[in-house]
Amino acid sequence: MHIPDGYLGPQTYAVLDAAIIPIWVIAAKKVKKTLKTKQIPLLALGAAFSFVIMMFNVPVVGGSTGHAVGATLIAIILGPWAACISVSVALVIQALVFGDGGITAIGANCINMAVVIPFVGYYLYRLLAGDVPSATRRMISAGVASYVAIVSAAICAGFEFGIQPAIAHTASGQALYAPYPLGVAVPSMALEHMLFFGWVEAFVTMGVVAALTKSEPALLQMRPAAKPLRWLWGALGALIMLTPIGVLASGTAWGEWDSAQMKARIGYTPHGFDRLGGLWKAIMPDYSTPGMGNAAVGYLIAAVVGVIIVVALAWGVGAVLAKRREAKAVPPESVPSG
Amino acid sequence: MIPAAKHDIAPAIPGRRGGGRSFARKAADSLTHAVMEVLENEEIAARPGLLQGLDPRVKLLSLLLFAVTASLVHTVAVLVGLVTLTLLLAAASRVSAWAFARKVWSSAGLLVLLLALPSATELITPGSVVVPLGPLSLTSAGLWGAATLVARVVAAAGFALLVVWTMRWTDLLRALSAMRLPGVVVATLAMAQKQIITLLRTVEQIHLARESRTLHRGTAAENRFWVTGRIAFVLRKSLKTADDVYDAMLSRGFDGSVRSITRLRMGAKDYAWSCAAAALCAAVILIDRLVAM
Amino acid sequence: MSSEDFRLQHVRHEYPPGIAALCDIDLVVGCGEHVAIVGANGSGKSTLLKMLDGLLFPSSGSITAFGAPLTEEALEDPAFRRAFRSRVGFVFQEADVQLFCSDAFDELAFGPLQLGLGQEEVKCRVNEVARQLRIEQLLDRPPYTLSGGEKKRVAIASVLTMQPQVLLLDEPSNALDPRSQVWLLDVLQAWKSEGRTVVIATHDLSVAVEAADRIVVLSEEHTIAADASPDAVLAQRELLLSVNLIHEHAHRHAAFVHRHAHVHGG
Repeated sequence: MHIPDGYLGPQTYAVLDAAIIPIWVIAAKKVKKTLKTKQIPLLALGAAFSFVIMMFNVPVVGGSTGHAVGATLIAIILGPWAACISVSVALVIQALVFGDGGITAIGANCINMAVVIPFVGYYLYRLLAGDVPSATRRMISAGVASYVAIVSAAICAGFEFGIQPAIAHTASGQALYAPYPLGVAVPSMALEHMLFFGWVEAFVTMGVVAALTKSEPALLQMRPAAKPLRWLWGALGALIMLTPIGVLASGTAWGEWDSAQMKARIGYTPHGFDRLGGLWKAIMPDYSTPGMGNAAVGYLIAAVVGVIIVVALAWGVGAVLAKRREAKAVPPESVPSG
Repeated sequence: MIPAAKHDIAPAIPGRRGGGRSFARKAADSLTHAVMEVLENEEIAARPGLLQGLDPRVKLLSLLLFAVTASLVHTVAVLVGLVTLTLLLAAASRVSAWAFARKVWSSAGLLVLLLALPSATELITPGSVVVPLGPLSLTSAGLWGAATLVARVVAAAGFALLVVWTMRWTDLLRALSAMRLPGVVVATLAMAQKQIITLLRTVEQIHLARESRTLHRGTAAENRFWVTGRIAFVLRKSLKTADDVYDAMLSRGFDGSVRSITRLRMGAKDYAWSCAAAALCAAVILIDRLVAM
Repeated sequence: MSSEDFRLQHVRHEYPPGIAALCDIDLVVGCGEHVAIVGANGSGKSTLLKMLDGLLFPSSGSITAFGAPLTEEALEDPAFRRAFRSRVGFVFQEADVQLFCSDAFDELAFGPLQLGLGQEEVKCRVNEVARQLRIEQLLDRPPYTLSGGEKKRVAIASVLTMQPQVLLLDEPSNALDPRSQVWLLDVLQAWKSEGRTVVIATHDLSVAVEAADRIVVLSEEHTIAADASPDAVLAQRELLLSVNLIHEHAHRHAAFVHRHAHVHGG
């Protein structure tokens, strides 16, 4: 997932290089508060571990091997902010000492691998594992969280690649930097990680968490989580507030045309379209609230309703699964030894 | 085995007969290779060449400036000129142009070529067809686009490699420190790099030990489990080492703040180089805009 | 000024889940003494040494250093900390742990800089110690390019630049080639004539006998089993056997069985 130099135009890499700096500053402040004078050796060793994990060959199938990033694992052990710094330091050293990965692209790489992966991975892990997880639940939560985290990061990288042709092209429309549009870049990055690298990551994360649960469970002890999750809800709230921006977009997304638009585009309406088009009458068609005059407010209400439904479903499924797993008579965690 | 210095080469464990190296052997080899490269870089950075003689801050900033310039240029011709510049600078710094080109090619060039070719097809970049291959015909616009990308990536990789090869790590840290990067950051970078090399050696040993102990190759699944077990071991070792290093720092009076001695001084050569580099970049961008018109 | 450097009284230490590390230790280290703490692995030597350096604090009991109590609170006072750290130097078992700067010069400069000395004086001390230990040519080398013996020299040098009066060495002869081991013994002799106090922790009796004028034996039960001159300690064969510092070895010469005790070298 390391982005080399030359693929991202200055509009992109400069923005990302600038964006990572305040994140580093905040991370440094947070880490100084928790780790105090021990921060230098702990972060340095975290960085060394992060670097080395990226170099471990993980056998996949036949003779092929893959590599893991391990940022979710580090976030689980050291916390997301310390993981952000450790992984960033590893990436910087990769670029400046080993010549691996670009120098102008350091901002982009750090955002993908040192911000997206640790934070998505950590908070998803906390959400899935709960407060006092059994060994199995802990392992599976770690695996799922690391899988989702790395796929998210891959999508971000795909996004960074994919917007290049739109941002920077010659007068004749030819791309100046990474040449593949969003429609190609994002799916290929996502699929590559969903089908291959995601599994390597999940396997390594689960394997190490399982090994640590046996030999040194104290390392996996949970940190108090009250504040961070509240922050997540806040972020979700902010996102909901921003949804009416969608009303500004004109035209219809690719592939989401209705019968009339199909006819206008290609001259006729395909047979299946006619038959199945009106089958399902949505309660809130086109993200609007029936009866509401103001489209923006209607959008907002639709967003809130949608989020409530999704969260409720996820919560319900999670609760059922958790009860089932707990009931499988896995013994509670013993006092950590050693 | 990884030698402590290039001159102590210990005999390698003989490879397994019967076609192909085992997974553990391959892994150990790539780790050895990584550390050897770092040792070689130190050696190159000690040669009496053009870039090696510059103040590290000037070197770092000017090479970064060149890389940024490469990202601002739009025309292939100018980019090829920049690639030539990287080769010239390498030669002037006592680096074999062949070794330089080979490293740039293997680390960045091959990959970008493979990535860029499909974009030259009609599917991605429509335009007038130059090489008819049905749906995968290469268009002229596509070929220009691919060439621009390849040239740019190769130029950028070249400048980055010059930074890695002509700068001693300790000098790089001094440059960062002199450029007002916080002491804690520099100290963390310094320690991390050192611990990385130590850890790489440890992991190499782990793989070689396995290589010498196993009689059969092991299935992919067995090897996978072994790998995650070893990663957990390395994690525990890293954390223990952090504790020990912390004790060592405390023992020498560490109280949280990082102090260092400034040993960098700019000379006439450095100022001359800075002006030349800035002027060159400005000229390159100007020419690029003129050519594009 | 007392002639005692360290006094430990009824010191006990346990690691968190209840693993005993030291049991009821009473020890006095006088000014200028060269003491070797010997014991089998796991007897508590390293723990004891770290306590002398204020890196670990006893679960119960007290430690005084240079007449003042050595506690966590005491070390939080910057003046006390600076005074203590500059007076006591610790050489760790693994040189790698101790070499955390990017080159040997920075390593030697770290301690004095932390003490707040000016740049010129720091440079002066670094060059002086480098000359004494004959490592001038290693000063601008990064630590990963050094051999084991060179790393040990740099590690010791990095402590000497603080001009400590007391030196604590944890298993110093481990992983040293024979020539470096001889060099180490020479250095210890030089310190003896300079009047520095030295405490060495080692499981190697031969090093202890060569380097120290007093041997303290730690048993596997983490208590002091003996505290006397090297000759006196060596004479107590039964004791040495019981603490697992030597073992009996039997072999045959035809019909005659020869039993003798010996120590395995470090």
